[in-house]
Amino acid sequence: MRIPMGWRKWLLMILAGVSVWALLEIVLPRQRMRASGPPAYVTTGVFTPAHPTAAAAVKDFLDIHPEHPVQPIAYTHTVHLAKGLPCTFCHVGVDQGPEARIPGVTVCMSCHQSIATDRPEIKKIAAYKARGEEIPWVRVYNYSQSAHVRFNHAPHIRAGVDCAMCHSDMTKQTTAERKVDLNMGFCINCHTQKKVSIDCETCHY
Amino acid sequence: MERRDFIKISALSGVMATLEGCRSAEKQLIRFVPEEELVPGIATWKPSVCTLCSAGCGLLVRVMQGEAEVVRRGQQGLIKMGLAKKLEGNPQHPINRGKLCARGQAGLQVLYHPDRITHPIKRTGARGSGEFQEISWDDALKELAAHLTTLQTSNSANALAFLARPLHGQRHELVERFLKAYGAPPAVWYQPFDEAVLRQANLLSFGHAALPTFDLGRADYVISFGADFLGTWNSAVAQSIGYGEMRQGRPGRRAKFVQVESRMSQTGANTDEWIPCRPGTEGALALGIAHVILSEKLAPQGAGSRAGSLIAGWSAGLPDFTPEAVEKQTGVSAAVIKRLAHELTQSGSAVAMVGGAPLAHTNGLFNALAVNALESLVDAGRDQGQILGFTPVLQPAIPAQASLASLTAFAQSALSGQPHAPQVLLLYEANPIFSAPPGLRIREALAKVPTIVSFGNFIDETSAQADLILPDHAPLESWLDSMPESGSLQAVASLAPPAVLPLHDTRSMPDVLLGLAHQLGGEVAKALPWATYDAMLRAAYVPLRTRGGSVDAKTDDDFWDAAQTQGGWWSTPSTAHSPEVAVAKHAPVSPAAPEFAGAAGDFPFYFLPYVSQSFGDGSLAHLPWLQELPDVLTSAMWSSWVEINPKTGDRLGIKQGDLVEIASPQGSVRAAAVLSPGIAPDMVAMPVGQGHENFSRFASGRGANPLSILAPLAEHETGSLAWAATRVKLVRAGGPEQAKLVLFAGGMSAFPHQEERR
Amino acid sequence: MAHKWGMVVDLDRCTGCEACVVACHAENNIPTVGEDQAARGRAKHWIRVERYWEGDFPNPKIRFQPVLCQQCDEAPCEPVCPTYASNHTPEGLNSQVYNRCIGTRFCANACPYSVRFFNFYNPQWDMPLQLQLNPDVSVRSVGIMEKCTFCVQRIKAAEIQAEAEKRELKDGEFNTACAQSCASKALVFGDLNDPNSEVARLSSSNRGTKLLGELGTKPNVTYLERGTWEDASHG
Repeated sequence: MRIPMGWRKWLLMILAGVSVWALLEIVLPRQRMRASGPPAYVTTGVFTPAHPTAAAAVKDFLDIHPEHPVQPIAYTHTVHLAKGLPCTFCHVGVDQGPEARIPGVTVCMSCHQSIATDRPEIKKIAAYKARGEEIPWVRVYNYSQSAHVRFNHAPHIRAGVDCAMCHSDMTKQTTAERKVDLNMGFCINCHTQKKVSIDCETCHY
Repeated sequence: MERRDFIKISALSGVMATLEGCRSAEKQLIRFVPEEELVPGIATWKPSVCTLCSAGCGLLVRVMQGEAEVVRRGQQGLIKMGLAKKLEGNPQHPINRGKLCARGQAGLQVLYHPDRITHPIKRTGARGSGEFQEISWDDALKELAAHLTTLQTSNSANALAFLARPLHGQRHELVERFLKAYGAPPAVWYQPFDEAVLRQANLLSFGHAALPTFDLGRADYVISFGADFLGTWNSAVAQSIGYGEMRQGRPGRRAKFVQVESRMSQTGANTDEWIPCRPGTEGALALGIAHVILSEKLAPQGAGSRAGSLIAGWSAGLPDFTPEAVEKQTGVSAAVIKRLAHELTQSGSAVAMVGGAPLAHTNGLFNALAVNALESLVDAGRDQGQILGFTPVLQPAIPAQASLASLTAFAQSALSGQPHAPQVLLLYEANPIFSAPPGLRIREALAKVPTIVSFGNFIDETSAQADLILPDHAPLESWLDSMPESGSLQAVASLAPPAVLPLHDTRSMPDVLLGLAHQLGGEVAKALPWATYDAMLRAAYVPLRTRGGSVDAKTDDDFWDAAQTQGGWWSTPSTAHSPEVAVAKHAPVSPAAPEFAGAAGDFPFYFLPYVSQSFGDGSLAHLPWLQELPDVLTSAMWSSWVEINPKTGDRLGIKQGDLVEIASPQGSVRAAAVLSPGIAPDMVAMPVGQGHENFSRFASGRGANPLSILAPLAEHETGSLAWAATRVKLVRAGGPEQAKLVLFAGGMSAFPHQEERR
Repeated sequence: MAHKWGMVVDLDRCTGCEACVVACHAENNIPTVGEDQAARGRAKHWIRVERYWEGDFPNPKIRFQPVLCQQCDEAPCEPVCPTYASNHTPEGLNSQVYNRCIGTRFCANACPYSVRFFNFYNPQWDMPLQLQLNPDVSVRSVGIMEKCTFCVQRIKAAEIQAEAEKRELKDGEFNTACAQSCASKALVFGDLNDPNSEVARLSSSNRGTKLLGELGTKPNVTYLERGTWEDASHG
């Protein structure tokens, strides 16, 4: 179907833009503000599962994520693994529960209060600790919030799945990179091969 | 459309979308180093104690690592800390044995409530204006200490008052010792629904000034006079466990349950037989049944003589309480009275209990003594499986002084200045502006007190009058202890350390008082030589080690660790009776008819404000889970309502959901009408709990407060508030759009969504 | 043998205390919808206690009945879902896969027990109430249907733990939130395929009925009838 060109085209484009903007204005969550504002001695703010911005929602939907996020400290897995540190030294609890966790600055300083203290990056870590502040690591691995998937590390570790299977060879990485495409097909393939349940409720509940 | 143009339009839309994303980025909050080590994703279970009612059930708190926004050293940031995720009953605890009631489950929302006071505040505007400013703990404590020192130096130590809801365990002890050593009068322990009448009756009838404990799992017949024992009365969880047992826990043996009350309660809904009885005449009914038992010799000779001797005419066989005479008084037919007498005595193990409205009349003590006499007539001795018992007492009994009497005395002293006007009032989680009868003039009395300091962690009607607020931790952030007076025949001392670290800049009230005591020096410091509350708890509870019981420890340190881990200490179950208290001889009580406020002509309806299944006495209305919990009898949520009989509705032109006004000689309130078959045509009932003018965003300005129209009538002997003794008149005041009743269950009409708010 | 999860509701034990309702909210991240949405019938009570009045004063009778998802073997909500979000698991649960749900609400329409609840708006928690949210359970967003899952997160956690310890699951080892809180033990949860389990024993009671069983949904929840005075023993 052909639409006539000219001013109607521009009108259509402006209308489309305004509609999208209006839709997003309605859908985006707002801070709940009351007529006189809440008193200062109570907590304010509203938590919702909505994405904080439309951009975040679009990225989530299209699974756009940085492959190698920039981290506040130039950590290198290569060096630490070469020294023989097991994964679970820092990632405590990965064989007990769902999360692998990033270690706190106290874990880093448990060695680095005496090791390599002259390096600038180590000095940065020490400064964080001195200020009572955690290093603001940027999350690398996550599932889309709207996937509502509950991944549990512990059964995988216990089943003997190697960390490198999903996180690729960490001995060749500085800060973590998402080299493996962790889409649902990847999970299903392995589950099918290992004859583990592929029922939806295994992971989505 | 050409492809090119489609792409242009899509691109423009995409740009708009991305521009939306270019709002100011969320402020980056710093992350503090955690104050505790937790493995994320893995739960630890910590013992605790539920403090929402006097039952004192033992809890297990599920604690998991999470990230919370906090203020540390004046800076806002995020911290990974243990967060309480779920409450469960502690399976080891003798009172609730792993179970927990609806209110106990909802208690979790107190900890993370958005309207908790997060730091000390000082009043800047007029009292009650809600204008406060933040001050530091140092300044707040200095100011409080200054007030107390001033009183001491000006020889007015007796001008210090402490008003709190009844506290359990060592908190009670701490406050009393502080006040005594300081030279102040004893604390005013106030709660609207106290049990002074029942404690006094039990002292006289059975030698125990305590709430009763029932072994319902042994019962074959239970008759309850007004006691909502499966919902809100006494130790509801323990009683519900026993109820399940007595119904289906013993193959081939199912107990019969009869409830005598004037309005069908949640408990009454579970009966095999429900017996409506005129308000205040429950004692007469009990004596009518006793008369039949005595005259037909259905019980062993001499049974019940001790409790019976407290009733005038007992030894003569209660000649004034023939079934026919009792039928006239109570409205219960003589045939039913005779049948109940036979059933009770032929049913194996039987128990009669009394609680709630029958005691909240001017003749409440008489009603209690009458039912106690019936109970002792039908409940056989311990060897044959006595159902009624009393928890062994671990600490000196809390004196059974009625709350109302001591609150009235306090209010009078503030209003009149006699014997001495209170100058400084310390307030802790009591809300008499909301719950005391208006006749006491509490608001006026508080306005006359120059300095009010509150330790509570919420603003409510009463704490809104404070000049200085030093917020306490939430219960799950505190050292908790309690010695429940009922619910188990084992002596129980619940004890638990904080389950989570404090979220806000709050401080434990006991610690604040102990610090103050140390600062004041002299007698006060001597009376309270501990630096922290847990040190005081240790000193109080470690002597239990020598009693054996649930903790087997060789040293005091071991005992202290083990008791904390278990959630407390309890004695081994024993069949021995707990010792009775010597009681001065009490003259036999003559039967008294209940008196009511409001002439029957002008105020034709009996008025029953009942303790709410959701909000208790109103102190839990700020919890959103409980506001949205559908009332089990009406399915109402977020609402107040007035229960009226459908015939009354017909007569007065009131339909379901209409706005009605009920007025007593003291005042009036308006709420939605709910037509209920469970209430007599000459009675109206209203749940307590809503009608807060100021109690968090969830409860403020919602519904109506039935306590605000109660007459300050008191039970004759104990002075306890007779909250069931007010009469009202009822009139339609508007339609459903004005009443705004919210129901979870749809209406029974064919098209429930048409024109109807459900 | 594979597990088959089921429940028994003993109507003679239920007291109408509603501890189950609040326990479920706490465990499953169920949002509070507020007065306005509740007035529109959108309050989410995955388990609710119904009341049935009979008769008039002075002989009114009322019966309580807790109703939750019956996890039907022939669930009417499953064939109507166009995206297979409502489906049946090998362990007998009717599972709701949140990410598949596109919000047609056919399932809620088909369910005769009215146990399905839709998120018409994004749920909200006034901070810091969200700190209480259970990390083992999804927080559902707008446009998603939700319902009782028999606390599938607890089932999964127990199964993973048993597997780690290389043993079978024991009856009573874990419980759904509602049954765990029920003081009178009216709610009993367990494995119907375990002949020694409490739930299997009670399901075969002669007091047992199924709710709307005549519709052919084959529910896995058995209701035990309330007793009468005639059943009472005279000791």
